[in-house]
Amino acid sequence: MIIRNNNLSVRSRVGTAVNYTLLGLFSLAALYPLWYVIVSSFSSSRAITAGEVSLWPVEFNTQAYLRLFDDGQLFVAMGNTIVVTVVGTLLNMVLTTLAAYPLSRKRLKGRSLLLMFIIFTMLFTTGVIPNFILVKSLGLMDSYWSLWLPALISTYNMFVMKSFMEGLPEEIEESAAIDGAGDWRILVQIILPLCKPIMAALSLFYAVSWWNSYFNVLLYITKSTLQTLTLKLYQMILQVNQSLLNNGTGSEGVDHVMLTPEGIKAAAIVIAVTPILVMYPFLQKHFVKGVLIGSVKG
Amino acid sequence: MKDTRSIIRSRFLRDRHLYLMLLPVILFYLVFKYAPMIGEMIAFKDYRLGDGIFGSQWVGFKHFESLFGSIDFWRVLRNTLVLNVYSLVFGFPVPIVLALLLNEVRKEWYKRTVQNLLYLPHFISWVVLGGIFIAILSPSTGVVNAVLQHVFGMEPIYFMADSRWWPVAYTLSGIWREAGWGTILYLAAMASIDPQLYEAAKIDGASKLRQTWHITLPGIRSTVAILLVLRMGSMLDVGLEQTLILQNQSVLDVADVISTYVYRVGLQNMNYSYTTALGLFQSLISLILVVGVNRLTRAFGERGLW
Repeated sequence: MIIRNNNLSVRSRVGTAVNYTLLGLFSLAALYPLWYVIVSSFSSSRAITAGEVSLWPVEFNTQAYLRLFDDGQLFVAMGNTIVVTVVGTLLNMVLTTLAAYPLSRKRLKGRSLLLMFIIFTMLFTTGVIPNFILVKSLGLMDSYWSLWLPALISTYNMFVMKSFMEGLPEEIEESAAIDGAGDWRILVQIILPLCKPIMAALSLFYAVSWWNSYFNVLLYITKSTLQTLTLKLYQMILQVNQSLLNNGTGSEGVDHVMLTPEGIKAAAIVIAVTPILVMYPFLQKHFVKGVLIGSVKG
Repeated sequence: MKDTRSIIRSRFLRDRHLYLMLLPVILFYLVFKYAPMIGEMIAFKDYRLGDGIFGSQWVGFKHFESLFGSIDFWRVLRNTLVLNVYSLVFGFPVPIVLALLLNEVRKEWYKRTVQNLLYLPHFISWVVLGGIFIAILSPSTGVVNAVLQHVFGMEPIYFMADSRWWPVAYTLSGIWREAGWGTILYLAAMASIDPQLYEAAKIDGASKLRQTWHITLPGIRSTVAILLVLRMGSMLDVGLEQTLILQNQSVLDVADVISTYVYRVGLQNMNYSYTTALGLFQSLISLILVVGVNRLTRAFGERGLW
């Protein structure tokens, strides 16, 4: 009996060690690509081209960043991204609330009809081309409304908010109604303050997806002064990717340039990702909460 | 009769502000969700910009016939399915395994740190991740090939430009971004398993592995089922932003999927009607898949999606 117990504890201790090691390795694997790009952005062009960069900056320098700062375009693009993200998220939250609150009231006549009307758009999604033609014929091209309007409500997020509102105790609202408060006042003064956790989670869902998206910008924004950070990166990466393929090794034709595009690209990526990294602890907490709230009923 | 009508009217009057709130919402769905459905009819027309959607000539099933008769269609359909199957077969189990490992971690700080690191890629744009992947896997400057060359003495592998390697890079990049994030729902399901079950198993002398097999896995079964079913409902959707950033001219034979094909041939070459037919085909199949899959979940006694 004693021997068996010992065996068990040794085995479980080995198992625990293996488990911790594996998870540690996986975490490093998740982090390494980001680390690599940060390290590259501070390395010399020679070292990157020679493939010497792996764990630490080689021949440390900040040339790539200085070049990007001098050029300035990336920061115009970042400003654009901030505008798109902030206004987009605000519009999303207003419209999502305006949809979720009435639809969460069971007394609303025609509620199930309206729900079907909305759910159907989740099941049958329209293709890119009809959407493109619509945005074009509404004259929205080269305006941020082409990004905001077609994405005013994420139906999934709206349902998450609706089910959260359905979970609130009804008595609070009833007593307010008896006191003569109208629907707008009930929504703004009573319901919304109770919805803080879900409002936080959903606005971050929206904000991160605005910050990260690029396909819609690629479709609808052609003016270079209006381009966002992700689109600028897309063009840089594509260009480097294509030139790599065209001249095989990628080292020709850049000899006389002090930095390879790789270094600049790495620095641009680091600049683009920094806001997300700075906000990460905060984002992560609310995202996880949002996913869990959404899964309860979603 | 008059009574019911007046009741309805009074209820409508009472809730008029709620309807007022819904007004912009309904407008949004009509204009940006339902109007494009009408636009889908150009799949049956020869759409020309000058003539507009309604003025263009009807051509019946012409575009569908040429679609089903083209090599391109079968190629992008095959690629779409193949990439989805890879992501499903290799990508679906990873979060489950990670969650099982995480669930055994007793040191809270270690668990939290690992979770923080594993969730991180999910928050980063595909443009950025694509850029990083291309850089790391580059045959001339990437660190992966540097290691293969200097440590193992291998020839450089053109991960992004070789049709045999591209699907591998694609699948791994997807796992890398979403596997950690995918653990959340499993971990939540595991946390709700009754701890007494484990106590009882321990007293019976069951090892950790046996506990995992007999208690943890059955405990998350319904979560696995519903996520699997959801995943199968989107077999014709390939992450457009992911594919677009990772693909390039030399791997289009394996990397071109329905959505990127629609973008390239439809919007860049202005073949609107032809690619709308392809998009409509995709939407219809997806609709059938989702409805079918929902029936299936309910048939297995799980809660359906609606």
